[in-house]
Amino acid sequence: MSGRFFIIALHEGGRIQEETWELVSFARRCGAAGPVMMVLSDEGSIERLAGELAHRTGLDVVGLAGSHLREYSAEAYIRTLVPFFRDASEEEEVHIAAAHTSRGIDFVPQLSIGIDACCITAVEDVGEGSFIRSLHHGRFRAEVRADRAKVVITVLPGAFAPEDIEPGKPGRIRIVPAGDISLSTRSRGTRAPVHANMGLTRAEVIVSAGRGLGGSENIRLLTMLSSLFPKSALGATRAVCDQGWLDYSHQIGSTGNTVSPRLYLACGISGAIQHLAGMRNSGMIVAINTDPHAAIFRTAHYGIVEDLTTFIPLLVDRCLKRG
Amino acid sequence: MKILVCVKQVYDSPETLVFDESTGQVTFGPHTVFRMNRYDEYALEEALRIRERLGGAVIDAISVGPARAAKTIRRAMELGADHGIHVQTGDIDSPGAFERAHLIAAAARGRGYDLVLAGVMAEDDMESQVGPLLAAVLEYGCATGVIFEEISGNGREIAVEREVEGGSRECLTLALPCVLTIQSGINTPRYPALSHVLRARSSELECIAASSLAVPPPAQSLVRILPPAQGRKGEIIEGTAVEKADKLIHILREHSLLPRQGA
Ligand SMILES: Cc1cc2nc3c(=O)[nH]c(=O)nc-3n(C[C@H](O)[C@H](O)[C@H](O)COP(=O)(O)OP(=O)(O)OC[C@H]3O[C@@H](n4cnc5c(N)ncnc54)[C@H](O)[C@@H]3O)c2cc1C
Ligand SMILES: Nc1ncnc2c1ncn2[C@@H]1O[C@H](COP(=O)(O)O)[C@@H](O)[C@H]1O
Repeated sequence: MSGRFFIIALHEGGRIQEETWELVSFARRCGAAGPVMMVLSDEGSIERLAGELAHRTGLDVVGLAGSHLREYSAEAYIRTLVPFFRDASEEEEVHIAAAHTSRGIDFVPQLSIGIDACCITAVEDVGEGSFIRSLHHGRFRAEVRADRAKVVITVLPGAFAPEDIEPGKPGRIRIVPAGDISLSTRSRGTRAPVHANMGLTRAEVIVSAGRGLGGSENIRLLTMLSSLFPKSALGATRAVCDQGWLDYSHQIGSTGNTVSPRLYLACGISGAIQHLAGMRNSGMIVAINTDPHAAIFRTAHYGIVEDLTTFIPLLVDRCLKRG
Repeated sequence: MKILVCVKQVYDSPETLVFDESTGQVTFGPHTVFRMNRYDEYALEEALRIRERLGGAVIDAISVGPARAAKTIRRAMELGADHGIHVQTGDIDSPGAFERAHLIAAAARGRGYDLVLAGVMAEDDMESQVGPLLAAVLEYGCATGVIFEEISGNGREIAVEREVEGGSRECLTLALPCVLTIQSGINTPRYPALSHVLRARSSELECIAASSLAVPPPAQSLVRILPPAQGRKGEIIEGTAVEKADKLIHILREHSLLPRQGA
């Protein structure tokens, strides 16, 4: 991959987001020579953030500073980044990578239009001059190639291991004033999650249900199964909570609780990346699903292709019979 | 207030997809059922609620797709949309996200929408980009992953909460017009009312040929479709249902994950 390569480091509450280090691995996999780290913030914190990036990665850092960047908003990012990248000449190849997080996916597509770039989202692997991403509930992958000189990419969290970066000497830092831009978006702060659940995070065994549960009348199957285990709790996918079968305090995943029990029993769960994000570090994962091709079977240690409505009662029965 | 809701037609279950190794194409099997993308159901419901709150709002539903997409637009009208727009792509099943966003923008431009609602993600291609792309093309503001909204400032602005990692919410106020991408759980979508079903049956969809709209050339191309990457290879437990249950119990006991049950 030729041309310049930029990594946009996102930060929250004064801390660089962890996915940033994965982006450094991604840039290496792309064969980028000397990627440049970028960070956007207000004058008060830009030097510290840029300094941390330069020390931890050894890469050169561009810090874009302005009072409109005190809090994140897509508008603030785009109105700062578009003029910065538009200056690069038409023909020159430029790759810009950010994490596929709620913020990355918020501003990156808009940035791509502003600089006439190709936008590829949720990238999880690199081909030869191409990028690979999942489609169709993880059943297939698409290899795509950019048809523009400029390419903006969001990289799936967890897809590239944050390798041991050996920074050597810290990179050079360049702070660029981004002017004072008056925004039409007004930030009103952040609200804490409404559904944090200590019971879930402490449980040793989580019996978790997906849409395959079929209805709230089958919750009793989960309760039956979980009563076999002493320190157990009920988990759920977002789909289950959206249906109102369990309340949102049971939701596990990128926008719910993150858990790592000794045993995770995934019943009727397809294995969407947003769900896996909240449970992939469980000690042992067992999946029960009627569809032998469900993505969850690629994450599970043990898979059982069965209908949960008949298999769970059978499992409980065999367990009680065998004592 | 004029509201545009973007609705995409998707297949109901990935089990009906067929992968042809000789062509490297994924096609729909004969039993494929199509329906509205779930996130778009939430977007449409939110539009209906805004109309109920404000009174006098007009809701258009738009879809870009082949002939069968008309059914999803009709569904939106059965649920209560006032007007349906079908950007017909003919033989092309689904153009790329970049073209789709430009097609929607071309059809929407000049119609004076105050608010455009889309889903946070299409369940089939999982790109999460048509909403924000569309916003940038139309030069509208944008917020993604919206889980709460309230129009304020005499209809000139909208307060939103966007859901971020761990379920926290970023609160912001945007000027109208803008594009919001709607996250599931913001509301509970309703069932169609008979009066709307009857009206939807008799009303015409506005059809626009995609080829008649001026859009820039595609920004990316598909090299090929690949099977999923082989991750950690787990074990599929085989046998009769009883054998599977017994094997699983054995494995769990071996790992001291399942205590013996008292009599
Ligand atoms: C921004 C964003 C954030 C998100 N955050 C989260 C999150 O935090 N947590 C989360 O879970 N999701 C989240 N999602 C949603 C996620 O993408 C998936 O839609 C969701 O995880 C799917 O839930 P599911 O597996 O229950 O349903 P489906 O994907 O519908 O899967 C149901 C499964 O059940 C199987 N099944 C059906 N019947 C049976 C039966 N009788 N017995 C056994 N198996 C059966 C089917 O084969 C299928 O595999 C998020 C999405 C977005 C866009
Ligand atoms: N073909 C389409 N027609 C209408 N709306 C679409 C289409 N494709 C995507 N959208 C909208 O954009 C959202 C996100 O889609 P995507 O970027 O493909 O994940 C969907 O939830 C729809 O609201």
